[in-house]
Amino acid sequence: MKRRSQLAVLIAALLPASVLAKTIEGIVLNNQGNAVTNATVEVEGTDITVTTDENGKFVIADLKNGLKELHIVAPGYAHLHSDITINNNEKQSITFNLKRSPIEVIDIEATPIHMSAMESASPVSVLSGEQLRRQQAATLGDSLEKLPGVNTNFHAKVASTPIIRGLSGPRVLITQNGLDVSDVSRVGPDHSVASEASTAQQIEVLRGPATLFYGSGAIGGVVNVVDNRVPTDSITRGEWNLEHNSVDNQKVASFNATTGTDSFAFYADAFWREADDYEVPVAPEVEHDDHDHEEHSGDYVVENSNEESEGFTVGASYLFDQGYVGMAVEQFNRQYGIPGHTHGGEEEHSEEEAVFADLDQTKVQLLAEYNFDNEWLNKINLRVGHTDYEHAEIEHGAVGTTFKNETNELRVDLMHNPFSEWNGGLSFHYKNSDVEAQGSEAFTPPSETESIAIALMEGKHFGDVLVQLGGRVERVTLDADNVLLPDIDAHPHDDDGHGHDHGHDHGSESSYTRVFDVEQEFTPVSLSAGAVWDFTPGYNLGLSVSRSERAPSASELLSFGPHIGTGTYEVGALFDIHDGHFELSDNPIDLETANNIDLTFRKTEGDIGFIFNAFYNQVDNYYYQVDTGLYAESGHSHGDEDGHDHSDEHDHSSELPVYLFKTDDVILHGFEAQVAWQLTDEFKVDLFSDYVRARLQDGGDLPRTPPLRFGTELSYETNNLSAHLHVTRYQEQDRTAPEETSTDGYTMLDASVSYDLSVLNQDLSLYLRGTNLTNTEARVHSSFLKDIAPRPGRSFALGIRGYF
Amino acid sequence: MTKLFKLKLIALAISSTLITACGDAETNIVEKDPIEVPDDHDHGDGDGDDHDHGDEYTIDSLGRLVVLAGDSNTASFFDLDDNALLDTFTLTNDSNTLSSSPDFRYAVITSRAQDYLGFIDGGLWREDHGEHLHDYKQSPAASSYELTNGSRPTHLVKHDGKLAIFYDGDATSGTVASVEVLTDSDITSATATLPGITYDINMHGVAEPRGEHLLSTIRRDDADSTSVAKVLPDQVGVYHFHDGEYELEQTLELTCPDLHGAAQNHDYVIFGCSDGVLLAHQYDDEYEAEKIANIDAVGDLRIGTIYGHEDSETFIGVASGHGGGPAVILSIDPASAEMEELEWQLADGASAVSYSFSANGEHFLVLDSLGFLNVLEAHEHDGHTHWELAGQVDITEEDVTTMPEGMKFSMTVAQNGQFAYVADPIAQHVVQVHLEDLEIEGELELTFPPAAITWLGIAEEEEDHDHDH
Repeated sequence: MKRRSQLAVLIAALLPASVLAKTIEGIVLNNQGNAVTNATVEVEGTDITVTTDENGKFVIADLKNGLKELHIVAPGYAHLHSDITINNNEKQSITFNLKRSPIEVIDIEATPIHMSAMESASPVSVLSGEQLRRQQAATLGDSLEKLPGVNTNFHAKVASTPIIRGLSGPRVLITQNGLDVSDVSRVGPDHSVASEASTAQQIEVLRGPATLFYGSGAIGGVVNVVDNRVPTDSITRGEWNLEHNSVDNQKVASFNATTGTDSFAFYADAFWREADDYEVPVAPEVEHDDHDHEEHSGDYVVENSNEESEGFTVGASYLFDQGYVGMAVEQFNRQYGIPGHTHGGEEEHSEEEAVFADLDQTKVQLLAEYNFDNEWLNKINLRVGHTDYEHAEIEHGAVGTTFKNETNELRVDLMHNPFSEWNGGLSFHYKNSDVEAQGSEAFTPPSETESIAIALMEGKHFGDVLVQLGGRVERVTLDADNVLLPDIDAHPHDDDGHGHDHGHDHGSESSYTRVFDVEQEFTPVSLSAGAVWDFTPGYNLGLSVSRSERAPSASELLSFGPHIGTGTYEVGALFDIHDGHFELSDNPIDLETANNIDLTFRKTEGDIGFIFNAFYNQVDNYYYQVDTGLYAESGHSHGDEDGHDHSDEHDHSSELPVYLFKTDDVILHGFEAQVAWQLTDEFKVDLFSDYVRARLQDGGDLPRTPPLRFGTELSYETNNLSAHLHVTRYQEQDRTAPEETSTDGYTMLDASVSYDLSVLNQDLSLYLRGTNLTNTEARVHSSFLKDIAPRPGRSFALGIRGYF
Repeated sequence: MTKLFKLKLIALAISSTLITACGDAETNIVEKDPIEVPDDHDHGDGDGDDHDHGDEYTIDSLGRLVVLAGDSNTASFFDLDDNALLDTFTLTNDSNTLSSSPDFRYAVITSRAQDYLGFIDGGLWREDHGEHLHDYKQSPAASSYELTNGSRPTHLVKHDGKLAIFYDGDATSGTVASVEVLTDSDITSATATLPGITYDINMHGVAEPRGEHLLSTIRRDDADSTSVAKVLPDQVGVYHFHDGEYELEQTLELTCPDLHGAAQNHDYVIFGCSDGVLLAHQYDDEYEAEKIANIDAVGDLRIGTIYGHEDSETFIGVASGHGGGPAVILSIDPASAEMEELEWQLADGASAVSYSFSANGEHFLVLDSLGFLNVLEAHEHDGHTHWELAGQVDITEEDVTTMPEGMKFSMTVAQNGQFAYVADPIAQHVVQVHLEDLEIEGELELTFPPAAITWLGIAEEEEDHDHDH
């Protein structure tokens, strides 16, 4: 908001108020009658945005006749909606009173229509500013895990991705400035997300189906990482940060800066981070715990959990009266160890088993906004992205598997002028992804996915009720011309493990790998309707219902091979078992369909604010993996251990359990609750809780579902000092899928304190942050590595941040 | 729950009203020509890429033979495929023993008196490249890697890719005993510091490497020790590899007076004691100790040498007096905690010069001083394993009384098939014995009397032989 305001101020300044009669003048005050400076006043459905001056005053000029909807936003206050009717040649003076909101309300940028945590029918969260800086971590999952409804799949700190309401993987879309981040993190839990929090400006989370805006991949939600890489203004400013973290000897350095001239704006950011294997309070492997006479001296670490990343982005844009057009290029590199990547066998302590991933991405984004003075349209938003991603898994110094993803994407949002008070627009979206994997872990054949979509989103205020409607039709094609169905010997393991027939026909006959050319075409349709009713001042009630469809991903359909990251042999839904052999499945491939209801009750202003969400999501044709009870050779025997003369005669270590993708009807329901209480100007208490239950309709639970969670944050903030104490309780999770074990609950205690000072005209902030202060053993149920990689032990981070 | 139920009703209502807007899915599959997979080691490799697995990276070779000369300080390397001499290396020290590295790539030359271990690359090895096994064949080459830190390297024990070197230390100079554990890749990469154990006293001990564990002997204070010869340990410790070092995690509760000799199989590690054998039965990270008392057949001898094989449920123990003399060969069954005297024993006038399990563990070989290779085979009777003589191979036509002074027959077992090689210092040749057929199938002529031999090469993965225990 802030950056666009500059432009509007400029426009306003160019048009003297005396000439134009249709002008609104106003003042924005708080409850005590004091002026609110830097509040943003926005005219909905137009690009007109102004900010208040030091006296809280603003002027909006050049308005057409009719009903105008103003939206007033200021940090720390509840957003205010106000309808003003403009009559001929009339100059209006208005006073707005903003009410305090203890829950920070930030508009999200992910969607073309106006949404925020307090005002939209469907639930969203935003992490920005100081809060983002406090919670940012090496991985996106860990950065977001304190948001209600969001958990991390904690992959030993190196590759954690977010879980939204129990859903992750191909159901949660991750975007950077509204464009797909285009990595392979949706395919495997050991693949890191190619996006960085330390240079981000805000991170937005849309909980629940968001296919309307983003298509198929967003059936469970969206995480959008926003930065200023394509600058929309040229005000010189920047931020830098240095930090050291004790638990893993992590060193972070990052900066971002924007500057420019009247017409050109430039942006640059860079970050560098290096971390050693992190320490844990107990032996990382669960089995070790039984070892009561173990006298372990020194610290436990999660082996091979080190990480090194660096990246930079440069961007430039041309600013003109009607908008901007700009481009940015990012280079992102990350190397991280993959703990527990033990190739299906027993964990080996030997160093030579270490597997690490080397990830490289080049991302080019072109963003533009053009504001019209047209009868129908008032704005066009254009986003174009090209990403080239490569990720190599390196074992014994040699590249084992390489994953590649080349994506081209185009989004055009056409926003129309209010049409009988409906605000909204039409969105066109094209995306093409070429994904391929080579090597021993290439369990999915090369495929090309192309999608074209058109979506319509509209909103209108009917008195106290805001109605939001949307629909999207998409066409997804998935082409893979070399889908392989090898003749594998999948077999059950006998009890005694001896003398069973491995059926390794070592005879002379050859086996055949069947090859298919697969073309899939899907037409997912998503519809959504929502309403927010301000039934009494300061409170609102939201209801959102949606039906979303998702085309299954290439890995869910076409996989056939060992996936070492999860320790399973994966077989896609295109295949099925007939008489112990894998054949093409007789079941048709169908869309996954989510029917979702969200209920939201909020108190938006006053010293106490709250947001309660309840959701019920019924997903038909949910693609998930079932254990077939069979085992197959991983084809991936390892390193230095060969040539052993006394090999265990039936060494199962190179065999993996075969998991087959199937579909079933699934129900997810749960809640998120957030209460914030501003005790005094300095003290604030936040309480939160979330819960999701994920089960099969016919009985049974889905695996790796986060447990019930509740927590509190106590904040103390003055001009120079801020301190936060954060306690989160994770309950035991005993609703488990077959083959899954339950996980004990734990309590995490974090605290941070920061002190702001001004040195040489720079604002500096010194901070100390302690995490897991009680050094508790915390195993994350939603992690694939919960039995070998608990959360880090007690850690202290010391850092300095500067602003200019 | 009622709230939930209502929500469900609403969800159903919505889904039925919106059903007309339901999307569409269409699948088109065309089957193409299948790819023929040359059937080999690579099962179920559904990678989706077209790399051809199989034999193109593997090498079929009988292996190489290292022969230590009896009349000079040299080690000669022969190619067993064509019996060609590949190279001869002059050794640093005078009195050497010869063995192989844990993965059979390197010859290990041990000079106990000089506190020295050196290595010579046999030139044949295998690497695992993930999607295929890659074999290498190069000329033998001396390695600059040597181990000189320990004192009196004595017992070298190999297991599953690891070699434990037990340095006895020396009471007279006050040097302590120690253990170093090494792999072939440590030799390749010349690892400067090997993991191991350092004791605070000398002892004539032994260490068995076993995955991340190392079972090694412990010598207690002489006042506490149950050993008669105090230099022999009487306890066994279980050391666990953590963070680059071995830590003592468990000391077996049973003592083993005058401990000498050790071996292991898939489930047990056993040690020879003057009063019987000590069994250590592995349960994950813990070992349970049990003792089998000596049977009458042992008499006043003691079991001081034990042979084991990963896949053999029974061990072979050799009971003898101190310094040789008559020997009694026993079968030790740890599962039933029993030992019994083998029916077959050495003929009168014969003494054993070498013992070994065959590569697959199905045979036990005893080479005797009269020039016979006695091949024993395990048979199952009523759930008991009995070792019986499968046959004898007369490996020499010479008069054994003409054996040069201080020399004897020696033997090595190839790890890639059914061959054993026996060196004959009288005839100055090495014979190749097929262990199933019990016949000599080849001969390698030498120009010097062989003092010791060892096989190097690519060991065969044992995956297709079916055991019926």
